[in-house]
Amino acid sequence: MKNKFFLVVATVAAVVLISSCAKVPQAALDAATAALDSAKLVQTDVYFPQEFAALNDSLNVMLQNIETQKSKTAADFKAIKVSADEIAVKAAELAGNVETKKAEVKAEAETMMNGAASLLDEAKTLITKAPKGKEGKAVLDEMKNELGVIETSLTEAKTAFDEGSNYVQVVDKVKAATDSLNGIITELKEAMAKAGIKI
Amino acid sequence: MKRGSLVSIIIYLVIAAVLISALVILFRALVPEPPQPEVEEARIAIAAARDHDAMVYSPRIFREAQNTYDSAMAEWKRENTRFILLRDYEGVRALAMTATEKANEATRNTISRSTSLKENLTSEINRLNKEMASFEKFFLSVPLPQDIKRNHAKGKLLVKEATIDLEKENYLGGQIKISEANEYITGTYDAAREKLEDYFRRFPDWQEWASATLRESRKSGSYAIIVEKIPGLCHLYQGGKEKYVFRAEFGKNWLGDKMSSGDLATPEGRYSVTKKLSGRSTKYHRALLINYPNKGDIQEFNEMIRNGQLSTDATIGDLIEIHGEGGKGTNWTQGCIALNNDDIDILYKYVSAGTPVTIIGSTSTLEEFYSARSQ
Repeated sequence: MKNKFFLVVATVAAVVLISSCAKVPQAALDAATAALDSAKLVQTDVYFPQEFAALNDSLNVMLQNIETQKSKTAADFKAIKVSADEIAVKAAELAGNVETKKAEVKAEAETMMNGAASLLDEAKTLITKAPKGKEGKAVLDEMKNELGVIETSLTEAKTAFDEGSNYVQVVDKVKAATDSLNGIITELKEAMAKAGIKI
Repeated sequence: MKRGSLVSIIIYLVIAAVLISALVILFRALVPEPPQPEVEEARIAIAAARDHDAMVYSPRIFREAQNTYDSAMAEWKRENTRFILLRDYEGVRALAMTATEKANEATRNTISRSTSLKENLTSEINRLNKEMASFEKFFLSVPLPQDIKRNHAKGKLLVKEATIDLEKENYLGGQIKISEANEYITGTYDAAREKLEDYFRRFPDWQEWASATLRESRKSGSYAIIVEKIPGLCHLYQGGKEKYVFRAEFGKNWLGDKMSSGDLATPEGRYSVTKKLSGRSTKYHRALLINYPNKGDIQEFNEMIRNGQLSTDATIGDLIEIHGEGGKGTNWTQGCIALNNDDIDILYKYVSAGTPVTIIGSTSTLEEFYSARSQ
């Protein structure tokens, strides 16, 4: 009788112990990590920096929760598996959106480059018509130098655009050139209006 | 089954359940508390540091925070492989707290540094904009080498790019661009100042020549011409008093004395009209030929050949005139002094062969030059 009693106790204890040895959802965890790595490869961190940082943070939370569960006598990884699956899905979604976002920024860069090229032509034309008083000629010479430098900068921007590495930087570079060109054109038009020259 | 046996079994099961529950409670009480709160705090602190761009503005300390956090997680993972009652999370807690401290330090450094960078960038952009405005005010008409002018234009564009970086709160990127802009702009400003200061070393000579010309004109009551290159003026004096002043244009490299033929410089010194030309004898409407080179010019030219400053093939040049067809708004001649046709007509009427022609840089000092342009 005593032996049967202890057998029952041991069986119940074993059941309790075995039930606390749940497994880490390693496959789901690996899938989430792989999804984030793949997302980084396609420049998700460049085109969606905040969203990508948030996903990385979610991964860290998940890893933390895994160890927290492992620290317990009765671990439960169900919620962690769900988190890992969500991270993998979101990372894939974000990576999928990169091409769209890249295309948007690329289109913006292209529009800006075309706009800058037109402004450059306009500035060169206006310079030929602008008044050439003593100081005016010196100013025009200075503007010609500036246009030369701007043209070089736009050529560099075109090279970076063709390489396709970072359209965000191309947009910034062309913006600076465009601002300078608008300033020069405004100055030329004002001088021509003052001198009564038809634009 | 007998009733007595059933009751015994039930009693045994209840006792077993109580004992097992007691064992489980005791077991759980002995299990060490996981370091979850400390690790969570470290993770949040690192995320906050990242949001402040600590990896840009405080990279070393941010990396230390990150590495320490990774070590805490690795240590936690390692402890979790041990039998549950033998785990010790104190090491993990210590690492997590260190990671939190470092992350907070990185955030504090970032805020301080980015504030300081923003202020410095704003101040530098303003300073360079003023310096560019000064350059254009003082030196736009000074014939500087093309590479210096191009550098000034490069600096100007870099300031524009740095301004965009400032707007986008990319202070580090802006700082790099503004440093480069500073080198270009300050370099061109310094080069221009140096060139002008070097040129004005001849001021005592100019002053002496101009004074002597006016003195003689006053004494004899005759006409005299004084040409000033810096303001681009040609004065006609009679009896020491100014009768007319005309706008004048010079050789492209007018800043300095003429040294040789083809240098596109207008000579400086005391000369006189040798011949008056008009009609078919000049292609510049009317012209007054002067006696360049004079004795001093020839002496200087020979010395420069001797000490190798000029090639032995060089020639001194001649046929320097005051002529018409000017009014182009730029310095375009081969070294002559150009007036517009109406002005050369007036000058031509009054001067004759022998009329003194004194060509100088300026009757005003360099300080007066800067002062006049500051207004």
